[in-house]
Amino acid sequence: MAQPLIEVKSLKMYFPVGNNLFGRRRQLKAVDDMTFELYPGETFGLVGESGCGKTTVGRALVRLYRPTGGQIFYRGTDIAPLDEKAVQPWRRKMQMIFQDPYASLNPRMTVSSIIAEPMRLQQVPEAEIEARVAELIGQVGLKKDHLNRYPHEFSGGQRQRIGIARALAMRPEFVVCDEPISALDVSIQAQVINMLEELQQRMGMTYLFVSHDLSMVRHISHRVGVMYLGHMVELADVEELYSHMQHPYTRALMSAVPIADPDLAAQTKRIVLQGDVPQPIDPPPGCPFASRCRDCRPVCREARPELRQVAPGHYVACHLYD
Amino acid sequence: MNLLEVKNLNTSFHIGVGTVHAVRGISFHVAQGESVGIVGESGSGKSVTMLSVTGLLPDYAEVSADTIRFDGRELTKLSRKEVRALHGSEIGMIFQDPMTSLNPLFTVENQLTEPLKLHRRMDKRAARARALELLRQVDIPNPEARLKQYPHELSGGLRQRVMIAMAIACEPKMIIADEPTTALDVTIQAQILELLQTLKRESNASIIMITHDMGVIASMCSRILVMYGGAVCEQGDVREIFYGAKHPYTWGLLNSIPKVHQKRGEKLVPIVGTPPDMLQPPAGCPFSPRCRYCMPVCRAYMPPVTALSDTHSVACHLMHPKAPKIGRED
Ligand SMILES: Nc1ncnc2c1ncn2[C@@H]1O[C@H](COP(=O)(O)OP(=O)(O)OP(=O)(O)O)[C@@H](O)[C@H]1O
Ligand SMILES: Nc1ncnc2c1ncn2[C@@H]1O[C@H](COP(=O)(O)OP(=O)(O)OP(=O)(O)O)[C@@H](O)[C@H]1O
Ligand code: SF4
Ligand code: SF4
Ligand SMILES: [Mg+2]
Ligand SMILES: [Mg+2]
Repeated sequence: MAQPLIEVKSLKMYFPVGNNLFGRRRQLKAVDDMTFELYPGETFGLVGESGCGKTTVGRALVRLYRPTGGQIFYRGTDIAPLDEKAVQPWRRKMQMIFQDPYASLNPRMTVSSIIAEPMRLQQVPEAEIEARVAELIGQVGLKKDHLNRYPHEFSGGQRQRIGIARALAMRPEFVVCDEPISALDVSIQAQVINMLEELQQRMGMTYLFVSHDLSMVRHISHRVGVMYLGHMVELADVEELYSHMQHPYTRALMSAVPIADPDLAAQTKRIVLQGDVPQPIDPPPGCPFASRCRDCRPVCREARPELRQVAPGHYVACHLYD
Repeated sequence: MNLLEVKNLNTSFHIGVGTVHAVRGISFHVAQGESVGIVGESGSGKSVTMLSVTGLLPDYAEVSADTIRFDGRELTKLSRKEVRALHGSEIGMIFQDPMTSLNPLFTVENQLTEPLKLHRRMDKRAARARALELLRQVDIPNPEARLKQYPHELSGGLRQRVMIAMAIACEPKMIIADEPTTALDVTIQAQILELLQTLKRESNASIIMITHDMGVIASMCSRILVMYGGAVCEQGDVREIFYGAKHPYTWGLLNSIPKVHQKRGEKLVPIVGTPPDMLQPPAGCPFSPRCRYCMPVCRAYMPPVTALSDTHSVACHLMHPKAPKIGRED
């Protein structure tokens, strides 16, 4: 296999959340001990329920956060411990596209200055910027006469394209797409997804694609990781995962997705999980899914299951597969 | 028998810059015990349709209809106040954001017992007992403790359940659910959908489910209205729409979601362009600026409704005998 672009080892991102009754600081373990790799040119889908830590992983990888622990090797260099200044050259190669196309664009800037901003910050010569902006606006399927307008004059899908043009300005190698289509109409989602795929084919970028839309993740990803409470519980090639899922949480998650085909939906049995997703504050030892798992055994409450290979490239963290 | 019958509903909003023609000549019905899904583009008028029927729009909204008949009564003859009084008693509403129904300043007990005292003339004890029963019915664990809590102390899924408990408190004949699970995680969504199905089985209430999720429609509804640009462009039973759709917008909607067994690399087929501006809707077919089969007649005239079966009807000029025969492509 090719060399990974990014190797994540035991990544931890903890947030302090006040004190407990004895004055000890409590910790919210948003991401705990995650290990995985991203290969050049691939799309890695990251799924899981609200609050499981998907966005936090994305922000830590592009170093918007400084991880609490673990390593992030970017082409062999550990960028996790670098300070603000030292991380700058790497940041240029990494970009993030956000969920909300309304909030992420400055309403007082024209489209052309929004797209140009990252290049101005990196002091790219003005003449070069102008040419690049013209090229980018075409790549995301907008027109040159859109350049002097303001974000509020555009629809949600068009704004998301502006955000994407801006993210591509510095020719990133790696892009975190954090729920890039959740705020868009179904018919517009397909436009944005097709465009992300075309851009990847043309420029060979690597994507971390975060989404709760499991059918879209299946459509766009080469490999998929399933997170629960800050942990990676299963990871495999997309077809392997969707057809041979092993982890009890993955199975419940997948079976909960309503199927857009009435005959198939009638034949499919849903596994309905009981209870809410707990918060990862001072979590108990053992398997993070133990409180909702139907297969939970005594060992599950004592020892955390390790991510193990159960088939080539297919990893599962569950004591059922020890 | 039809519980709800709506004929030629028109709703517009007079705002500073002009008039928003949000709903334009919609007709539909809902039978007793039936679950009907409404899908369509954002801004197509789904919410406004149901808010018009239930008298919940602000005063600057102008609503007119030939008929809005609910359970044998003609609502167009009632005052807005009288229509609103049906809420919480005969019509239960569930919204995407529970905080539109829940008052942050009152406890769960307060919010649940108030309508019972009002509409059912229950005393405090009876209302409290019924509130506990309702919380159990919507599968809220530890209901005694929950009664004392305020909405912000509950998780999103629990708040949604409390709102459902409120909606069903007085055993309504019709439940209107507007994107009830859009803000929830899939595993919590599955719980809520299961709950709604159980409630419907037990009470024989009708459900109108507004959603943009074709999966939710496929598993919950027996009939579907597809809306575009303030009009119903196609309606039919669930199999007629999923396997026999005839309107180009419905095709577009079905083609832009990944298929269940779709392989990586197969392209999605998006609908080009953006939805119409309802301040200045197109003169003819609202879908004409985005439709790849658009003919000159489409730009000039609104397409008439063609009935294909007792349940299936389509508003599209392609249904004209002289129009080209075009089938859905994938
Ligand atoms: N800056 C922060 N400070 C404190 N806690 C945080 C911070 N950012 C995230 N968290 C917490 O970390 C956990 C993971 O959050 P994260 O946003 O990564 O989840 P997510 O999987 O992206 O969820 P969603 O699907 O809702 O976007 C949550 O419990 C969240 O409340
Ligand atoms: N109170 C209001 N005042 C003015 N215009 C309104 C009002 N409510 C809705 N509209 C307009 O009416 C049209 C239909 O809106 P509606 O809320 O019914 O759409 P929808 O189909 O429910 O969309 P969504 O899927 O986004 O909820 C839109 O153009 C909207 O901007
Ligand atoms: S380790 Fe135990 S509790 Fe965790 S998912 Fe596996 S069986 Fe369930
Ligand atoms: S009436 Fe014409 S424009 Fe409208 S959907 Fe039918 S073919 Fe397309
Ligand atoms: Mg997130
Ligand atoms: Mg709506």
